[in-house]
Amino acid sequence: MKRSFLLFLLAISVFFWASCHGSKGPQADTFKIGVITSLTGSNAAFGQAHKNGYTIALEEINAKGGLLGKKVELDYYDDQSRPDQAVQGVSKLVDQDRVSIVLGAYSSESTRAIVPVVTQKQIPLIIPTAVADNVMESNSPWIFRICAGSGSFATATLDFLRNNGNPKKLAIVSENTNFGQANNKSMTEAAKTAGLELVDSESYQASSPDYKSLLQRVKGKNPEVIYFASYLLDASTLMRQSEQLNLNPKYYTSAGTGFAAAEFPTPDKGAGKYAEYTFSVSQWLPSAKWKGSSEFDQKYFKLAGSHPAYHAMEAYAVLVVAAAAIENAKSDQAQAIRDALKQVNLAETPFGPVQFDARGQNQHPVLLTQVQGGQYKVVWPIEAAESKPIIPAPEWSKRQ
Amino acid sequence: MVNWLYVALQAILNGLLTGALYALIGMGMALIFGVMRIVNFAHGAFLMLGMYATYVLFQATGGSPYYQFPVAGILLFVVGYATYMVLLRPIRGQVDFMVILLTMGLALILTDGAQLIFGADYHQINIPLLSRNIHLGSQISLNAPWLVSFAIALVLACALYWVVTHTMFGRAARAIAQNPYAAPLMGINVNRVQAISFGIGSAAAGIAGALLLPVFYLFPEVGNQFKLKSFVMVVLGGMGSIQGAAIAGLVLGVVESLTSLYWGNEWALAVDFVLFILVLSLKPSGIFGSQRA
Amino acid sequence: MRKWQALIAAVFLSTALFVPFLVSTDYTLQILFRVFLFAALGLAWNLVGGYAGQLSLGHAAYFGVGAYGLALFSKLGISPWASVFLGVVLAMISAAMIGIVSFRLRGPYFALCTIAFAEVLRLVAKNLPSVTGGDVGMQVPLLFTHSTIRFFYWAGVLLTAFAFALSAWIERSRFGYYLMAIREDQDTALSVGVNATRCKLWALVISAAITGLGGALYASMFLFIVPDQVPAMDISTEIAIVAMLGGAGSLLGPLLGSVVLESASEIFKNVFKEANLLIYGVLIVVVVLFMPEGIVGAITRKLSLFKKAPTAPFAAPLPVSAEEESERMVLNK
Repeated sequence: MKRSFLLFLLAISVFFWASCHGSKGPQADTFKIGVITSLTGSNAAFGQAHKNGYTIALEEINAKGGLLGKKVELDYYDDQSRPDQAVQGVSKLVDQDRVSIVLGAYSSESTRAIVPVVTQKQIPLIIPTAVADNVMESNSPWIFRICAGSGSFATATLDFLRNNGNPKKLAIVSENTNFGQANNKSMTEAAKTAGLELVDSESYQASSPDYKSLLQRVKGKNPEVIYFASYLLDASTLMRQSEQLNLNPKYYTSAGTGFAAAEFPTPDKGAGKYAEYTFSVSQWLPSAKWKGSSEFDQKYFKLAGSHPAYHAMEAYAVLVVAAAAIENAKSDQAQAIRDALKQVNLAETPFGPVQFDARGQNQHPVLLTQVQGGQYKVVWPIEAAESKPIIPAPEWSKRQ
Repeated sequence: MVNWLYVALQAILNGLLTGALYALIGMGMALIFGVMRIVNFAHGAFLMLGMYATYVLFQATGGSPYYQFPVAGILLFVVGYATYMVLLRPIRGQVDFMVILLTMGLALILTDGAQLIFGADYHQINIPLLSRNIHLGSQISLNAPWLVSFAIALVLACALYWVVTHTMFGRAARAIAQNPYAAPLMGINVNRVQAISFGIGSAAAGIAGALLLPVFYLFPEVGNQFKLKSFVMVVLGGMGSIQGAAIAGLVLGVVESLTSLYWGNEWALAVDFVLFILVLSLKPSGIFGSQRA
Repeated sequence: MRKWQALIAAVFLSTALFVPFLVSTDYTLQILFRVFLFAALGLAWNLVGGYAGQLSLGHAAYFGVGAYGLALFSKLGISPWASVFLGVVLAMISAAMIGIVSFRLRGPYFALCTIAFAEVLRLVAKNLPSVTGGDVGMQVPLLFTHSTIRFFYWAGVLLTAFAFALSAWIERSRFGYYLMAIREDQDTALSVGVNATRCKLWALVISAAITGLGGALYASMFLFIVPDQVPAMDISTEIAIVAMLGGAGSLLGPLLGSVVLESASEIFKNVFKEANLLIYGVLIVVVVLFMPEGIVGAITRKLSLFKKAPTAPFAAPLPVSAEEESERMVLNK
């Protein structure tokens, strides 16, 4: 027993040694920016997209000489798609690696978890992708979000509908994860305010092989509009099985993500022809009119072999904005960077104009696209539209 | 009014089609559990391996998984046999949960390994069969690939049942299941039979993965949900009974489908577990009989 | 347990209390909190899994009930610490309910049943957003007036000390002896008049109380919980692994297991990045293959020629007749 106790002490000392050894204080020669994203776990695919976006931005920044005369280095922490790991990551990045700004995380739940921590440690956080409204609810002065939130998705969609046929009967189909439930909640509330009738609200277990019974239920309620909150593969399965069941609402709309993925209209990796006529909110497309969008698309394709979805662009944009703020602040102190972020006013980035309001939210315009001829076409708002929306969606039996 | 009948019928048929695939996975698990009393937490990872293998094969040859699934089966048989011989046999004498722990560790290795090799991104394949639907009357439609996988799973299930009941190997396996201490006294090479059983059980999971590939999608953690369901099936079926697990698979598919229809898709998984708990508390020897065949 | 062992443990735990004065980074304290939390959870699990030999793979249920209890009761306006107390009571009640059903089963069936209960709890939390916030999550109040990690760390150390003392006391008591008898051979234990069901239930209820308390602490540290984080299979397996690899059925086992595994996990994450889970899996496989009685068991075996029966982990079950075996494989009569 004595020996096992000594082993115990040994284990603890090894741990201490390793953890101290692992920390590197600020190097004199690089500027470190902390990044939390999901490199493993259920969100790993998106974490990887983030990483690619960050990489492209990093190369551009360093090619221009870095920041404050130093080369920029990204300090990644993998939250393994778990909120508690994200919190641990903030501590490591801030306390041990001494970064003065953090970017991330990926998912709404991880991001929501780190908000109190960065607030307490007084480190600015720029959020690339988390759309749940509760992420911003604490009104912390240290949080900045570049993407539009789920509330904006709902209002933009309802705006479009009101001006294009004004349907009254709505069904919501969302996955039972944070992303799905947050969007479900936002749309339920917004629809109520707008005077629509919510005939059905379905929640599903993501990654199920069979949604036919769920779609059968929706069909029975006869909605005019269906609003989906799904990731790519469920989106493909849902559309394919809608065809099998002959479910024909006048409008298929969605909260982006799956229905806005680059692969969604493709037959090999998405829903192919079943994606046709679906509407989606969009934060960004490779074909967006903002300067630098297509260059980013090309660089991403060269790096990753596939086209970027907006998650990658949001990561890229967040790093670009961080760099701009640091340049303006001319300082590596957290407070100064935060103040510079408040002042940020970039009229032109590949992600559109960026400026944070008093709550730290960037008023990112939400576009609506429709899949026409296998391509995403912006149909709303009218000023940005490249094509007229096709309404109603033709019945399945009448399509080629 | 008759509409609800058609709707229910459609749900039941869909449930049976999905359930056939579940049944295949469950039978594999039941064989392993029956012969060796091992709760194999790597079963889902084996399904995932079968799926990736089929995917790679499809990318290379373009051949339909419905013809190429035997490759996944053979691969997983070898993996299962090797796993048993190398990892499980040395610790056979140990307590149950060390064995479970080992299979958990193995599952982690396989899952993370798959992520490192193939990336965390989802993959799917598209075959022409996917868009074919068979219509029964005007109200019921069945998706062709699911019908094909139903047929294949049915054939394989019968084959497995035949092997277990009519071959020397099957008899040896059943003997070991009945009494692992007496079996070697009867001249049975226990290690070999157990390794082969593990191999066959894993092959079943691998083939199920291959059949699942066209209608579903592929990512490293795809096996998790099926692993949990296979536990449910083994218990529902009773005492490692293969035919029990197969029927339990069909039951599970139908129950999930009806739950989705009448209550909500998000509760389907919970209902699986509630059913599981009910059976365990009310008829622990399983729905389908108390003695092994 | 010998007096000097108690002394060493006491010394260790009191020195642990001074650590926050030596280590200033939140990051290290957070990891150490996790180490002590899982040591406490492992010790709690040990009561059921180690001493009584019932493999519970659903302990996250009690962890989750403690955490959600804190969140839900304080949402109703009850003060945080009172909510913790109520959460723990709720965890104990759930343990009783789960135990009554599950303890009728043996071995792997029991384990699977515990998994099922934990999963049902998780799915209920996830699918009732109006009550639990669903996957969007729930706010949890801060238990300590200062939001520094220190207090949580100390709470973790105290919880571990409490769990350790409790386990030590149980190990020496008649109750503990009954549990170990049940583990070695339940039928024989029954035949000498041990009320197996009641003993196992008590072990589970006590275990659940500590686990629930741990859950409330954990939740409060993050100020926010979601169903996939708290009553999740990952947590159940982590608790079980910590105890089993460390050495179930021993006192230092869960402690050692937690130190080794939690620090290994963090080191792997920093060193191996995306491959960290694979290495972790390899670690588990290696330990099982070469140290099947857990780390503590392996050390004890190597160092002492004479094994002491009460603290030895496990013996193989005695063979019984074939017909009874099939029925008794599943049921406890």
